[in-house]
Amino acid sequence: MCGIAGVVFKDKKLHPVGKFMTHMLNALQHRGPDSAGFALYGGLGLGEHEYLLNIEVKEKPGLLEDVKAKVETAFPIESEEIIPSVENYIIYRCKVNLDSFSQLKPLIMDVDEIDDVIVLNGAHSFEMIKDVGLVKDIAARYNTEDKMGTHAIGHTRFSTESIVDRYHAHPFQSYIIPDITVVHNGQITNYWKIRDPLERKGHIFETDNDTECIVHYIADKLAQDYSLEEALEQSVKDMDGPFSYIVGTPNGVGIAKDQLGLRPGVMAENDEVFAVASEEVALREVMDTSDIDQISPGESRAYTI
Amino acid sequence: MKELKINAQEKSPREINRTVKQATKENDRIVIENPNAMHYLLAGLTEPVDVVIDGSAGYFVATMIHGARVHINGNAGWFPADNMTAGEVIIDGSAGDGVGQGIYGGTVVVHKDVGSRTGEIMKNGTIIVGGNSGFMSGLFMMGGRIIVLGDISDDAGESIIRGTIYVGGEIKSLGKNAKIEELEEEETSELKELLENYDFHLEETSYQKFRKIVPRSARPFYGQESEEG
Repeated sequence: MCGIAGVVFKDKKLHPVGKFMTHMLNALQHRGPDSAGFALYGGLGLGEHEYLLNIEVKEKPGLLEDVKAKVETAFPIESEEIIPSVENYIIYRCKVNLDSFSQLKPLIMDVDEIDDVIVLNGAHSFEMIKDVGLVKDIAARYNTEDKMGTHAIGHTRFSTESIVDRYHAHPFQSYIIPDITVVHNGQITNYWKIRDPLERKGHIFETDNDTECIVHYIADKLAQDYSLEEALEQSVKDMDGPFSYIVGTPNGVGIAKDQLGLRPGVMAENDEVFAVASEEVALREVMDTSDIDQISPGESRAYTI
Repeated sequence: MKELKINAQEKSPREINRTVKQATKENDRIVIENPNAMHYLLAGLTEPVDVVIDGSAGYFVATMIHGARVHINGNAGWFPADNMTAGEVIIDGSAGDGVGQGIYGGTVVVHKDVGSRTGEIMKNGTIIVGGNSGFMSGLFMMGGRIIVLGDISDDAGESIIRGTIYVGGEIKSLGKNAKIEELEEEETSELKELLENYDFHLEETSYQKFRKIVPRSARPFYGQESEEG
């Protein structure tokens, strides 16, 4: 099944978006217990060239030092934090200063070469939190309820496409352009038809998961100067299968649904908030409204700030 | 009239449904408060009792009910009144996909818009939609009637075998085996009586705009016309 959610605060100011997204995802917990994740935008306050890396490291003597050395060889670590996780892993979070965004993906690929280490993400304008387990446990581990921001997307996973681990938890991210994330409920059945031309253009796929394919597709369209709305509209024409997914960008959130309408999607909006989700029960966590719109088959909606 | 109030907060659907079934022995009316769009409320309720859901319900509300009269003050998710055999489900707000899926009898009323595949594989009974109805409404419909006061979306009446879809607004496109016909005077009167009964008060001119979608054939052929033997 999977549960997806997104919320935008229209005034562009900081709000307790981590708390709202935690509550939205907790309301959707019945849709998937395997893992959960958040992309919380706007609250990091990083400098122009600063990036935050989240790195999964197995608890093994000397391994964390190897990771730090690898990062430090390339770029100075400005600050760091260790977050305990489960199954003998920790999440090493560090802030680095790059000369440009184009250095981010090569750095991630370098660190990924270390055995038992995988970079979960690198970001400038959003914080990625994703792990295996239930929403409330992950939220407690990462203090998500304390996180401020302008908008967010989130996911609670019922795995159908690939293994259950932190990396395959959603959101997925693309590095084609900065800070694009996707959460997804469903399957893309013409996966290779979408992936192949993207790979021919040089876009790098790290997994065989169809959600990664969506995020690269959308990022590729945005890189070609499509608006978020245009990218979403085109995606429902190009992609087959049952799906609904939510995209997060540095400026907003959008949702798209397959042409047969085989996965759920609802939306509600007032003067302050734009919210989308799999079910009404999640929308009710961020606003008091009785006006719920069903996202129609083949339809997309977006809100940018 | 004896009434019981149930606070749904902190209760599971199973606990609520069990409480409702037990309560029907001594109460004529049951009110479920704080439902918070919970799934599966009133599943399998077979007593002729009045139930008010004071807020929104989630998926499969009132699935497989027989005889209960259910009033939902808010919205409903996917498949409200699924496979109902008798009774009444009234939704004041909007609803998701598959409203009245597979019903054998009874009446489902949604005052605002509904999602896709309204009344799919329904065998009998009545579905009334106050707003618009989505993609493939009446999919494989085998009997009964769907009344849509607003617009109906693409592929209306897809693979319809029996039954009738009355549409007051625009028909975006028809599905396979579906065709449009004008209403008989008797049908218009019947619609008027039924809709007034559910508090839909339409102008006379609105009734004149109604058209109906019916099957082209009771034994449809889905290949090329030229291939039909």
